[in-house]
Amino acid sequence: MAEAEPPRPDPDALLALAAREHRGRLKVFLGAAPGVGKTFEMLAEARRRAAGGDDVLIGIVETHGRAETIAQIADLPILPRAALHHRGQVLEEFDLDAALARRPAILLLDELAHSNAPGSRHPKRWQDVEELREAGIEVWTTMNVQHLESLGDAVARITGVRVAETVPDAVLAGADAVELIDIPPAELLDRLKQGRIYRPEQAQRALRSFFREGNLAALREMALRRVADRVDADITGWMRANAVSGPWPSGDRVLALVGADPSAESVVRHARRIADALRAPLLALHVEGAEPPEAALRLAESLGAEVETVAAHDVPGAILAHARARNATHLVMGRGRPALWRRLTGRTLSAQMARRAEDFTLHLVPRPTALPRPRRAGPQAPPWLSWASVPLLVALATLVGVATDGAVPEGALGMVYLVPIVAAAVLFGPWHGLLAAGLAFICWNFLFLPPRYTLVIAGPQDVVGAVVFALVALLLAGTTGRLGQSMRITRARARGLRRLLEFSRRLGGPGGLPELLPAVAQEAARAMEGPAVVILPLPPLGPEEAPEPVIRAANPVDAQPDEGAMAAARWALRHGKPTGRGTDTLPDVAWRFLPMRTAHGVVGLVGIQPRAPDGERDRTLAGLLDQAAVAIERAQLMEEQARGTARAETEQLRSALLTSLGHDLRTPLTAIRGAIETLRASPALSEATRDDLLLAAEEETTRLGRYIANILDMVRIENGQVVPKREPTDIADAIEAAAGRLQRTTGRPITREVAALPLVPLDPSLLDQVLGNLLDNALKFSGPDGAVRARAWRDGHDIAIAVEDEGPGIPAEDLPRIFDPFHRASRTDHIAAGTGLGLAICRGLVAAMGGRITAESPAFPGGRGTRIVMRFPV
Amino acid sequence: MTDLAPPKILVVDDEPQIHRFLAPALEAAGYAPLRALTGAEGLRMAAERAPRAVLLDLGLPDMDGKALLPKLRGFSQAPVIILSARDREDEKVAALDAGADDYVEKPFALAELLARLRAALRRATGAEAPPEIIRAGPLEIDMPHRRARVHGEALHLTPREWDLLAALARAGQDKVVTQRQLLVAVWGPAHAEDTQYLRVYIGQLRQKLGEAAGLIRTEPGVGYRFGESA
Repeated sequence: MAEAEPPRPDPDALLALAAREHRGRLKVFLGAAPGVGKTFEMLAEARRRAAGGDDVLIGIVETHGRAETIAQIADLPILPRAALHHRGQVLEEFDLDAALARRPAILLLDELAHSNAPGSRHPKRWQDVEELREAGIEVWTTMNVQHLESLGDAVARITGVRVAETVPDAVLAGADAVELIDIPPAELLDRLKQGRIYRPEQAQRALRSFFREGNLAALREMALRRVADRVDADITGWMRANAVSGPWPSGDRVLALVGADPSAESVVRHARRIADALRAPLLALHVEGAEPPEAALRLAESLGAEVETVAAHDVPGAILAHARARNATHLVMGRGRPALWRRLTGRTLSAQMARRAEDFTLHLVPRPTALPRPRRAGPQAPPWLSWASVPLLVALATLVGVATDGAVPEGALGMVYLVPIVAAAVLFGPWHGLLAAGLAFICWNFLFLPPRYTLVIAGPQDVVGAVVFALVALLLAGTTGRLGQSMRITRARARGLRRLLEFSRRLGGPGGLPELLPAVAQEAARAMEGPAVVILPLPPLGPEEAPEPVIRAANPVDAQPDEGAMAAARWALRHGKPTGRGTDTLPDVAWRFLPMRTAHGVVGLVGIQPRAPDGERDRTLAGLLDQAAVAIERAQLMEEQARGTARAETEQLRSALLTSLGHDLRTPLTAIRGAIETLRASPALSEATRDDLLLAAEEETTRLGRYIANILDMVRIENGQVVPKREPTDIADAIEAAAGRLQRTTGRPITREVAALPLVPLDPSLLDQVLGNLLDNALKFSGPDGAVRARAWRDGHDIAIAVEDEGPGIPAEDLPRIFDPFHRASRTDHIAAGTGLGLAICRGLVAAMGGRITAESPAFPGGRGTRIVMRFPV
Repeated sequence: MTDLAPPKILVVDDEPQIHRFLAPALEAAGYAPLRALTGAEGLRMAAERAPRAVLLDLGLPDMDGKALLPKLRGFSQAPVIILSARDREDEKVAALDAGADDYVEKPFALAELLARLRAALRRATGAEAPPEIIRAGPLEIDMPHRRARVHGEALHLTPREWDLLAALARAGQDKVVTQRQLLVAVWGPAHAEDTQYLRVYIGQLRQKLGEAAGLIRTEPGVGYRFGESA
């Protein structure tokens, strides 16, 4: 028999372990009810650890005035609470930032389920705990089992009290250690009666309501079962991480069907418990309707479910398709609030599912008791407006009927009334269509069916007509209404997609960050129909500092989050999570900040002022954020690259400058010094030699002076200190002046060919310097008898000025570099070498005047000659 | 045999203005200058005209001075003085290691160049038979007996210290010796890069020389010279 491959550790389990290693540990002291002694135990153990030398700090401990608990604090250090100012009140709350700064080894934070005072960074204490663990601080905390999110319904049924402060199951599941503090209910009741838990009058009240023995027993069972489950899960995790094969949980997957009815949250909690019991992954699905149940979907996410939303008309069909695609085995659904006619016809979703979901285990969740109706998230237009417009549409049809009365038979008038029905159904939905159908039938009957002005129907054919009308109207209202609804969804989605497409086209453009960021802000503002800002991080100054958020673009331009909102932005940048309104972090500010992420991390934030939740809009925004993130990263990389190139060029220039200084300053200095020393030290020199040495010294001094002037010019150009004084300049005049001067000094002819040109706004003295330089070069390179020509002409929108020589030309490989500083023509031809700066200076000066300069070589047939052309836009 | 004609000095430099003043200066000092603008021209003239010394610019357009030196040494033992820039330290040392005799930095003082030239010519003429006893200032080095005296008083030198002093003295008065040349001569080729040895031993040697310590002059980054300053 072939040997089985040795079992390998499960990579997922190892990853989960590794992820835990860097986070601070979490230890939860879990109890079934208040007063079992969680805080007491926690303090006792903390003191043992403190005595052992650990740095233990009390963040928050609620003693409830219990003497035994107070005594346990003893000499443990306590972190001062932060004072929060909220609407004129001063509230005391746990000081998260102080704790983060203080970095104790172990932090005690009582009552994990506590809701923080308004104005705190996180609404819930368990979120503070998450941040502390993120920072590597070990946290010890306490909680009662009824605060566990997924047990909310069960606890409410048992105790009759709905717990408002809850902790997601994932937090407890993510704890490294859970210690159950357990005492039998009878003992707990004794303690309560002795007044060791509450003051006497409170204790009396508690005994009558919450602290009934039955309640306590049920809660105790829940706590025990939770801890037992955990032990189980720990063992399974350990077995997986260490590749111990054993009884694996089945391949179950639980799918929670989240509807838009009040039982949605209850469905999610039930599904979580079923998934826990089966140790199966949890999925959640919402089939899109008019109002996505945001709260329930968020809850599903917080319970660790993988949430998806699909749009479909055939809801049961879509559910089953999804369930099969995701290999779900258990479907959990609520009973919903189906319409009466559906209930009567057996067309409720649960009935349909029971019929069609033959290969799934179906769980129907009990209807939640006495839950308040959820607030309807208001659509853009107030709902009464759409209802009010239905009678208007019917009245309009009535007007048409009255106008054509007598011209057409009254039966045909019924057709006129179908128009407002279809219109109402398409525009607003099936219910509006139904209202329109009712109104239309009444009007038609009352005004046009004989006997007129009564609701009585006379003839049998009119009865048939009325019945047919009513049926057609109802059918129309139903089908067109559904059609209109799905059309609206499709249209909204298409609008979103179009926007994204447009946006991605804009992002694809060549622009850098300066164009990109306003485009992102504008697009986000359009998607949200409100103000939007784009925030990029300023690199932190030190490793301990947080990146500072800076608003780089805003739409409208004066949109400006206040200081409190910027604190949310800072947190979002640091942690890469959404903050602000509607999120778990700093929800009191008016803005919401969404991170733009790429594979390399958070590149920045988009800040918006969120409105009522809208699935389509949020999806569009999410797509936009993804695209913007990639585009911003690309632009930043491009900028970085450009900076790198510029740095390399500067480096190159600097080393070329040093080489040039070494050579071009030293040679004339050596010559001058040598000539003078020779003159001084050797009295026997001939008169001619003495003259030559003096002349040499003079010439070298001139050369040195020109060289230094060139260097200074170059430095001024490189530093952008050349500011041209533009004035209308006559090109012909400028060429005449420069060419005439060089003709006089060199005695060589320079041909001028200048067309009639308009005056060009240039700096005449800079132009003269450029022309002088170019002509001087041309004379040098054309040889002693070569012709040199200066030309100027109109070339399209440009004025072109060229200097041509008939010298040997420039080798093709040198052509691209001749305008670089310190580039020299190869010196094999014994032409007096310049400083290598002349053409670079020309380029700098021409660019400062807004022009371009290029070189062409060979300029003439026969492979000879060089033409330098400057072009200035008119 | 004495040559009555003025000694020929070949100047190899690509800058015409250097020739322009060096030619009359060398003439006035009693030499016959030869001029070459490129390395190839320099080699050709060195072969044809047999100059007594060569002044060589390292920055030639056609040929690296370091490449020229071995070719020149192939047929001529004429001393070579490098005309170089201060910022080309490595180039200078490489040229000295490759057989150049001395160097001056541009812009150089004419007097200094002429002094170096005289010293080089003097060393070149007396090179055939190094003297048995070398005297410089108060110092007297007795080569055959491996002894050194300052003001007639014997110095107690370790063998390494003696070798070092002898190597410097043997090179000739005012001749620059590179660190590498000294290390190879005293410690062997395996220690050519161990410049820290030199710093230690030169320090000890100077201490023992006492009053005569100034005879060993440091050329920073290059090497050492022995002798009273020119």
